[in-house]
Amino acid sequence: MMGKNLSTVCCAVAMIWLLSATGCAKKNTFVLLPDPNGNVGEITVATDKGTQVVNRAEYSVQVSSAEDPPGKPEKMDRETIEEKFGMALAADPGLPAIFNLYFKSGTDQLTTDSDKLVPDILAAISQRKSQDISVVGHTDRVGAEDLNLRLSRNRAVSIKNLLISRGVDPNIIFVDAHGESNPLVPTEDEVAEPQNRRVDVTVR
Amino acid sequence: MQGRKILNGGTTMKPAILFFTLFLFLPASPLWAMEPEAGVIKNITGNATIGRGEQTLPAAEGVKIHTKDILETSAKGSMGIIFRDDSTLSMGPETRIVIDDFMFSPGTGKLSFVTKISKGTAAYLSGKIGKLSPGATRVETPLAVLGIRGTRFLVEVE
Repeated sequence: MMGKNLSTVCCAVAMIWLLSATGCAKKNTFVLLPDPNGNVGEITVATDKGTQVVNRAEYSVQVSSAEDPPGKPEKMDRETIEEKFGMALAADPGLPAIFNLYFKSGTDQLTTDSDKLVPDILAAISQRKSQDISVVGHTDRVGAEDLNLRLSRNRAVSIKNLLISRGVDPNIIFVDAHGESNPLVPTEDEVAEPQNRRVDVTVR
Repeated sequence: MQGRKILNGGTTMKPAILFFTLFLFLPASPLWAMEPEAGVIKNITGNATIGRGEQTLPAAEGVKIHTKDILETSAKGSMGIIFRDDSTLSMGPETRIVIDDFMFSPGTGKLSFVTKISKGTAAYLSGKIGKLSPGATRVETPLAVLGIRGTRFLVEVE
């Protein structure tokens, strides 16, 4: 009698353990895709027990347990991608509109070409019903880093004021200065590069 | 009488100065939104929420996302977010993502983008943070950590 009870209990415990174990076995899946320009990057999937690198388009890695290394990369067919990720992919917010503005040398006045972009910026803001605009100043690497940071901020502020004067809500404009640290064209220090002396207006 | 006391008393002046000094450093947003802004919700279908501190706010187009926000979509919900560094994130239904860290300040060398997805599906496109500092972008799931060297990828947590 006792033995039968014990085995029933054991059986129940084993079943609960099995259920909870399968309940915990939730897979994590990672898939690499080409970017909007068609370039394929690289992702690294790591658990405590190992690492897998994925560097081919539409290849995926699965992890079934943190106690195991990730599985080998496998091609995932488009139907499966669509089935699993269709809703997420459909919610793609698209890319922001980015305008690079350039200045007449040593001034905070826009070049003639850049001045012509201002109506395009205003159009992008209203078209996108944007609630978030970044105005970020940049310099090249000629001169001291801290001075460049200040110069890039002054130029960004002048563009912010220009946008406000054309009717843009000041509350949706975020001003920042990246000095010489976020160039369009990377260069050595003290190299003059007109393409890097700019203010980027990003309309989201 | 009270006015005199404030004018003359050194001890009562100090809290006032402290108050105004603190006030100078406050961002132009409500107190509950002290974490820095990281991005903006661009599109949304169905229902989604933003957990911020003790509050749960309804997600909507044009609403800013802050560091430490907990983003959650409902059974038929989905939404797309554009971050300050041009990274984008779109979430499928029944998905939960925490913006654990977001710093985009190349001028001061602070670059970091860490998200945690605990359930659901998401499509990521990494932006300037990943470009300027490979290794600064990371996605954590319950079972693994994803390092990113560019740029577009999908994550599913069952």
